[in-house]
Amino acid sequence: MRIFLIHTLRFILFMFAQALLFNQLEVGLGIQAMIYPLFILLLPYDINIFLSMLICFALGAGIDSISNTYGLHASSAVLLAYLRPGIFKLFEPRDGYENTQEMNIYGMDSTWLLSVFGLMLLIHHLWFFTLELFKLNEIGFILQKTILSVPISLVLCILIQVIFVKKPSGNR
Amino acid sequence: MAFAILQGVALYTYFTYLSFPRSQYLTSASQVNGEILKVKNEVTKHFNLAYNNTLLQQENIALRERLPQSFIPLQSGIVKINDTLFKQQYEYIAATVINSTFDKRNNYFTLNIGSSQGVERGLGVFSDKGVVGIVHNVSEHFSVVKSVLTESINIDVMIESSGAFGLLKWDGESPRIGNITGISNDMRIKRWTKVVTRGGSGIFPKGIPVGKVSKLESVEGKPLWNISVLYAEDYRKIQRVYVIKNLIKQEQEKLESLIPQDKATGQ
Repeated sequence: MRIFLIHTLRFILFMFAQALLFNQLEVGLGIQAMIYPLFILLLPYDINIFLSMLICFALGAGIDSISNTYGLHASSAVLLAYLRPGIFKLFEPRDGYENTQEMNIYGMDSTWLLSVFGLMLLIHHLWFFTLELFKLNEIGFILQKTILSVPISLVLCILIQVIFVKKPSGNR
Repeated sequence: MAFAILQGVALYTYFTYLSFPRSQYLTSASQVNGEILKVKNEVTKHFNLAYNNTLLQQENIALRERLPQSFIPLQSGIVKINDTLFKQQYEYIAATVINSTFDKRNNYFTLNIGSSQGVERGLGVFSDKGVVGIVHNVSEHFSVVKSVLTESINIDVMIESSGAFGLLKWDGESPRIGNITGISNDMRIKRWTKVVTRGGSGIFPKGIPVGKVSKLESVEGKPLWNISVLYAEDYRKIQRVYVIKNLIKQEQEKLESLIPQDKATGQ
């Protein structure tokens, strides 16, 4: 029950933060910071894939509806939820995941987090910008947007974890 | 399987919305999102207050200069009567942009007025500096504008000095620069001449500023110019706009629908 409440609260916070704050930041050069992939990363490890896709669809559609993108965020979020278990499997530590741990910076080591979350962000941004532009002759601009946005989103998401995720006391 | 269905729904909404808005539920014209954006605008609108005040002041000056009081009568004995020579053709509704983007491929602006204030789909929107877009979707209290920062906006514009006309488009790169297509390259066009709306489709009156010609290039293999326009309005900080309603548009449309369709060119 507690975990349900935590994730509901996060869902709302991430949706509004993305739609009302980060989508309004227009830096130039095609940079667009997206933080809601962090919500998808932080979902429970053993969540049913169908459920996680539904949650992500709702999250994306909520962001879409506020920022007039009509399904772009929903599509990218669903793709990420679909690929999440596969990526986790790919980078599985030698002795497997513990069922109870969360995928945040305190639960996992930094190499794992950088590679897994970096890959997730890369896939997500590439899919998002490809759909947004959707022209073969603009592949350069798609890559430019992706390559410039991924590090910014990554840094932002790590900062968010440093600031908001509570450090587990003692039992590490 | 579920993945395919959800992706299908998302992509279908995305690709069909561009051409025709089927519903308002997933857009910022819906009641809930409109209220959220209104609150957001309440917070952020003060950031540009000084700038907006200057703009309004400038516009007031321009209008004041046209008042009867600011003219010296050169001829005495002329009596002003309530004339029947002019009939009002355009009606204006003031609005505030409560949500906007400029760096997406298709940029939409949300306005704080809707059908209860008389907004309809297809009306023109402009600001005191230049043309802004066309109303795309309307709910009771909000409306979404397809801005000139959209690929398929196709407003008909003309070069003010020569009268050559074409369609305004946007290539999606810079929010300051648009393109005009369809002007043949035997026309002489100077750089930095003004571009204004042509008023052909009855959405905008003739002569609303769009921008200035900033670059001329010939299209390869076609006798056409590709003209870049530096927009007069900076869409990155737009707030005050006007919705314009053509009171006799239906009359024009009715008359023009009598023109037989040209089947050979498919237009």
